Amino acid sequence: MSHLSEEQLDHIIAQERSREQPPLNEWRTIAARAREEGLIRETQASRWWTSNRPWLQSAAAVLLMIGGIAIGRATIALPSAVQSTASNPTAAVATVGTTSTASSNQSTVSPSGNATFASVDAASAALKEAVSQYQRASEFLAVSNGSPAMRDSVAMYSARAAALDKIENATVSALQTAPHDPVINQYYLATMGARVATQQQLVQPVGLRGF
Amino acid sequence: MPFDQLDLKRAIAGDERAMQRLWSQHAPHIDAVVRRLCDDSELAADISQEVWMQIFRALPSYRGDSQFGTWAHRIAVNRTLNALRKIRRIAKLEVDIEDDSAMTEQDTDRTFVAESIEQAMRKLSPGARAVFVLHDIEGYTHGEIGEELGITSGGSKSQLFKARAKLKKLLSHLVDESSTVAVKGKGHVASV
Repeated sequence: MSHLSEEQLDHIIAQERSREQPPLNEWRTIAARAREEGLIRETQASRWWTSNRPWLQSAAAVLLMIGGIAIGRATIALPSAVQSTASNPTAAVATVGTTSTASSNQSTVSPSGNATFASVDAASAALKEAVSQYQRASEFLAVSNGSPAMRDSVAMYSARAAALDKIENATVSALQTAPHDPVINQYYLATMGARVATQQQLVQPVGLRGF
Repeated sequence: MPFDQLDLKRAIAGDERAMQRLWSQHAPHIDAVVRRLCDDSELAADISQEVWMQIFRALPSYRGDSQFGTWAHRIAVNRTLNALRKIRRIAKLEVDIEDDSAMTEQDTDRTFVAESIEQAMRKLSPGARAVFVLHDIEGYTHGEIGEELGITSGGSKSQLFKARAKLKKLLSHLVDESSTVAVKGKGHVASV
């Protein structure tokens, strides 16, 4: 029986050297031990979840707000007088009680399903107008609340302001990820508008607050 | 994807995902050396766990002076040899060295006809296998091997010579059956 030559053995060794094999253990086995020893921060996952929950909650709040607005717009039209004064929350508060029966002739946004645009500029202009209108509507909603129990409540505005701060943080963070995204910008503008309106309500004399 | 400094910091901070990325990237190579130094797969798996624990414990001390893989590899070799010493496999090194030639004589060629290089390595004495793996596969010098195993550089050379001689004999069937198998075999040497 002949033996391998040195070169042949070297070739086999080279093959063995480069041969990759699967790990001897599964990660979960390693991770379990690392966790036992405290090498893996047990709170990492929960911390991640916890730290992201405000964002998720804010996102949920934004979605709820938008959903509510959409439903509201689908069922009843916003009063035109309110639209014209929404940029001035105080004025909006003053007129809200008297414009509830006004007809909905303020809408400038076509139903999206029927919208056609001749150009990108036209679409952008429509979007800009929609954002503006959305912002005004948000501001109005920020100073209006249908809950009698919460009427003129400093606590309500304070809570809303705090919640809007969280939403603002979330949207600012989202803008860092997608600075030119129109949807995210829309969220941001709406949040800022509502926040400003809420802050104004907080500094108003009790008698002049919403409702 | 390379394991970058940010991931390293995260792993040191206890970020499981970063640690898993580290493990995923290096485990095939790290575990390979553990597997080769051990002659028992279960033992190798146990030692591998210890190796990775040690790597994670020592992460904060990694200064980046060398490639992370090289640094971790060194830990793997040290830890494995220490573990083998603890179970008195390496402790028999000197005895095995003396008996190695006798073992070779006792082995019949046909016993190893179907052995692959991995299986053939298992037929080496622990000391000879360690020297062979460290020198021919891991690239250690005889001086480094001597330090690791507590033997002289000359002893390491002698062990390597014997190990290679035995492997050539154990794998001789590859030449007998087909002279091309050893040269063109796909990775793992095929059984005959």
